Amino acid sequence: MNNPSNQSETTFISSKHLETIKVFDKKSDYDIWNAFDQGDEMAFNYIYRTYVKDLFQFGSQYSCDSYLVKDSIQNLFIYLRKKRGSLSKINNIKGYLFKSIQREIIKNIKTKASVETLEENLFENHFLIEVSPEMNIIKGEVETELKLKIQRALNQLTTKQRKVILLFYVEELSYKEIADIMNFSEVKTARKIVYRALASLKELIKPTSY
Amino acid sequence: MSTSREHKKYEEFEFEDFVADEFFVQWVKSPDENNLHFWQKWLLSNPHKKEVVAEAAGLVRSIEYKEDFEFSDDAYIEVFENILKADQEEAHIPEKSPIKKSRWYTLLSLRSIAAMLIVGFTYLILFNFPQSPDIVEEIAWITKENGGGKKRVVHLNDGTIIHLNSNSAISYPERFTDSLRFVVLEKGEAFFDVAKEERRSFVVQVNDAKVAVLGTSFNVNNRKGKLAVALVSGKVKVNDNQGNQVVLKPMEMIVMEETGLISKQNFDLIQVTGWKDKYLVFTDDDFNSVVQKIESWYGVKVNATGMNRGNWAYTGLYYDESLENVMEGIAQTSRISYKIQGREVYITK
Repeated sequence: MNNPSNQSETTFISSKHLETIKVFDKKSDYDIWNAFDQGDEMAFNYIYRTYVKDLFQFGSQYSCDSYLVKDSIQNLFIYLRKKRGSLSKINNIKGYLFKSIQREIIKNIKTKASVETLEENLFENHFLIEVSPEMNIIKGEVETELKLKIQRALNQLTTKQRKVILLFYVEELSYKEIADIMNFSEVKTARKIVYRALASLKELIKPTSY
Repeated sequence: MSTSREHKKYEEFEFEDFVADEFFVQWVKSPDENNLHFWQKWLLSNPHKKEVVAEAAGLVRSIEYKEDFEFSDDAYIEVFENILKADQEEAHIPEKSPIKKSRWYTLLSLRSIAAMLIVGFTYLILFNFPQSPDIVEEIAWITKENGGGKKRVVHLNDGTIIHLNSNSAISYPERFTDSLRFVVLEKGEAFFDVAKEERRSFVVQVNDAKVAVLGTSFNVNNRKGKLAVALVSGKVKVNDNQGNQVVLKPMEMIVMEETGLISKQNFDLIQVTGWKDKYLVFTDDDFNSVVQKIESWYGVKVNATGMNRGNWAYTGLYYDESLENVMEGIAQTSRISYKIQGREVYITK
């Protein structure tokens, strides 16, 4: 990076690279994945750039061992690259990668800890939710108190429920993809979880009108 | 999506229905032309739902992971390299000859250096986008501030012209860097006529939102916690601190409310940008809004007694007019009396 002789070439490649990324931005997930499957390196580059941070954040909810999460991401991409040419068609890359990284991480965790420990931890304090101070519905002195109340209510839900909520609001995945990641047989199960959990907050937010 | 059936479906919606609706969440989290258009139209025909929509949007936007795990730049490059390295190794394991192997290793390392350079540089552009003026700390920054009753035109050295309204302030570097023209609207309102340059973006930071352009003219108004960006010509991108991005076409305006609501609308040119050409515009303004505009425009203090502020509205257009003439104009059509004493205006019913 600091070698001046490489600078101009790097700039050239990068701007071309940026152009390609712009091109992919307009394409559907189906087409991008297809390009990746056919060996398009820019498509791989795009997928890596777009999702690696989300994968790390999501994966770290399972394990604070950043090496384990990093290795899992690395293994997943190595595996996918090896399978190029015979990858299945998909319509949502993020949903597919999330489902895959989850499988990979669980697999790797199991080799290091017992299933019991894993489950216990999973149900205890994974996928915790923060209600950010930008929440505008509440004003004035009660703000902090109400924010904490909502946060507490959300974190009293089960890990599974919290995970669905985070996938829906933070990761912006559809109910269909969430159901897939969660292994729900019906899509509406995912919606039901969000609906019920959030309906219970209504009373906290507006106690007078209900 | 914006069929009348969809339109109708949402009329029965309550808080929990909105927050669990995919299209609603999509609009709140990732507004684009499609969903903005729908929801803006829907809210217009369902104004009584504004409050519950704002509550639902506020909650949707506030949910985050409790623990943030940052994927560092080093990790980004390291993992990327290892992935590429793995398929090199995979492909060349059958090569048995030690001479060939060492040659492959040379190629391999060259390739990973190239990959690192590409990734490293791209990364810089995409993720280390300047967050604040700190990035050019060795260059001096200039701030221009107008009090009440004062406007001015600022000429930047790239040819860009900024009209700065009263009660407003703008900061900019003494000279721009080679890669970016970056200014900060510290408060108030400004009209930008940006000199066209293909290579250097022009970015205006307002609070946490950024407006990026490549040669265009537009108005930015940031008062009372509400940010409005109105595009006259060219193309403008608005990014807020929530990661939302909206692209504006000419004669479109985006308004970000304090409640977090974002809406895209058309606007009246003279109403929004008339101030820079000395037009004082009132469009169905309520009493408080008229008072604010007069105070700001003339740098005076308005005192009102006995006004029934509730059902009062005023519309009028004044070009480069004195305070006396504007007050006279308002008084004639709006059943008020007034008195001007120095920098004070007294209004009575």
